Amino acid sequence: MAETIQQKQSIKEFIATIPFNKIGIKDLLNFEKTPRNMLVAVITLAFLAFFVLGVATYLMHGHHAYNVTREHPWGLLIAVYIFFVVSSTGLCIVGSLGDVFGFKDYEMISKRAIFGSIVTIMAGFAVIAFEIGHPVTMLIYNVLSPGLTSAIWWMGTLYGLYLTFMIIEFVFLLKHNMKMAKFFGLTGLLVGLAAHSNLGGVFGFLNARTISNGVFYPTYFILTAFITGIFIAFIMMGFRYKLQFPENAKVMLANLAKIQGLLISILIFFVTWKFLTDIYGDMPNRADVAVHILGSWTFWAEVVLAMLIPLFIILKDMGKNLTGMFWASLSGMVGVFFMRYNLVHDTQLKPLQMMKTTEYQLAPSWVHYFPSITEIMISLGGLGLCILLYYVGTKLFSLDADEHH
Amino acid sequence: MARYGMALDYKNCINCKACEVACKEENGILMGADKHRIWVGVKEIEGEYPFLSIVSSSFEPSQCQHCDDAPCQEVCPTNATYYDENGVVRVNADKCILCSYCMNACPYDARYVDDRTMTVDKCNFCSDTRLARGETTTACQNTCPTKVRTFGDLDDPNSEISELLRTREHFSLKSHLGTKPKLFYLT
Repeated sequence: MAETIQQKQSIKEFIATIPFNKIGIKDLLNFEKTPRNMLVAVITLAFLAFFVLGVATYLMHGHHAYNVTREHPWGLLIAVYIFFVVSSTGLCIVGSLGDVFGFKDYEMISKRAIFGSIVTIMAGFAVIAFEIGHPVTMLIYNVLSPGLTSAIWWMGTLYGLYLTFMIIEFVFLLKHNMKMAKFFGLTGLLVGLAAHSNLGGVFGFLNARTISNGVFYPTYFILTAFITGIFIAFIMMGFRYKLQFPENAKVMLANLAKIQGLLISILIFFVTWKFLTDIYGDMPNRADVAVHILGSWTFWAEVVLAMLIPLFIILKDMGKNLTGMFWASLSGMVGVFFMRYNLVHDTQLKPLQMMKTTEYQLAPSWVHYFPSITEIMISLGGLGLCILLYYVGTKLFSLDADEHH
Repeated sequence: MARYGMALDYKNCINCKACEVACKEENGILMGADKHRIWVGVKEIEGEYPFLSIVSSSFEPSQCQHCDDAPCQEVCPTNATYYDENGVVRVNADKCILCSYCMNACPYDARYVDDRTMTVDKCNFCSDTRLARGETTTACQNTCPTKVRTFGDLDDPNSEISELLRTREHFSLKSHLGTKPKLFYLT
């Protein structure tokens, strides 16, 4: 009994000693009123307003407020959820370089990246909560009758665990307990990678969808997560230092740019071979879908914005043009969004039933989908939520590297 | 304990859609809902006049294939989709979270969202209705004027369906996916 009370007290003390700044609304409104900052603030507020509007519409009309159909049951919100969790896994990888793997140059971004990984996955959860029809039922029956053969079960459960580990790691980073931060960081990273490859598995396990079926997505997701993490690292550091990077940040970012160059090259190699193998031999339901994808502008948006522009900027100055990399990373993130959207949409392009079922109807060809205004509002709202949480975090915690370690 | 399946003498189908109507009536399916539970696929005549390929035109009645290895069951995160004691693939609406994974995974597009319960539903061989009342036929089978459908126990060697599958050539849809469907199309 006495031991339990002592344990409770030590947990209370542990939580009470987490270092944070006491802030109020005034502190949140207290930022440099430059045109750039004001623009970001207005956009964030607008996105948050969209979120409220979108959620209200969804609560009134349910899935009828979305443009998802029987033939295309997964829409924009799934893509945006993937966008956020990929960002989270990527930031976790970038954050782990310093505090888990011990690369000194990267320690300066660890805390910021780990905090970023927490806010991005929370934004992802906020978005998916309005796509899953019955999120409360999910919480109950995920535990009571787990579907262990389901990649969604593993992905969701592991991401829940991952978020817990990331929060614990962040707390230890705040407390300068590097040993424990390393332990929880490594555990969180491994769980996060497992969760993320399971997310790839959600698509890879679809035997019925030849274009997505196979090992490609589970591995590709890890690669693109790392790429996304580096893009966000550039964006976060760019905003933190207003593009006037100190010397240690320059060293770190130049190294990250070189890694990014390698990763994007590997990605281009992967994607090229995916399309070659998809098209070669004219396999039905795969070759025709791949050719159709090559004709869509969203695919080329992904290629140009996330691959070609960043790679060009990196190769031009061997990764030393950090300001250029900041802008290329913004372009990269837009490209990554299209990457996620394409992945979800392309999986469902080909109808599974090719016969018509009613008169005065054409036989199904390609499945069409364009997100509804509600889906767009909730998605932008997720981004607003992410920016808001990150901004609050920068005020609440010291996200820069500690001087003394 | 049985292992229910269905044989379809699909070339006899005249696309009268009586099966769809009977299914809606028996199982309380929304009126006017397209492809809910069962449907008849229409393959139109190919070619241009006067070179029309009459044999290319066919009707293909379809529904959930009640696979022995059902992808929709494997991917369900809460086991809302399950096999009942008769091998029928069914849905427990209380457990369904509407993640729509089953809709994406089913190779036969046999799953749809029931707008009343906001859960994913499918054909269950009238398990909640006719079979629960002790009847031995499904509504679609019972009403079919050209006797396209034969429903029965695949494990019973004396059943009509077992006899049909022993004596008539048949195929299953997308059998290369390894789903082991229990709907058999007689040729």
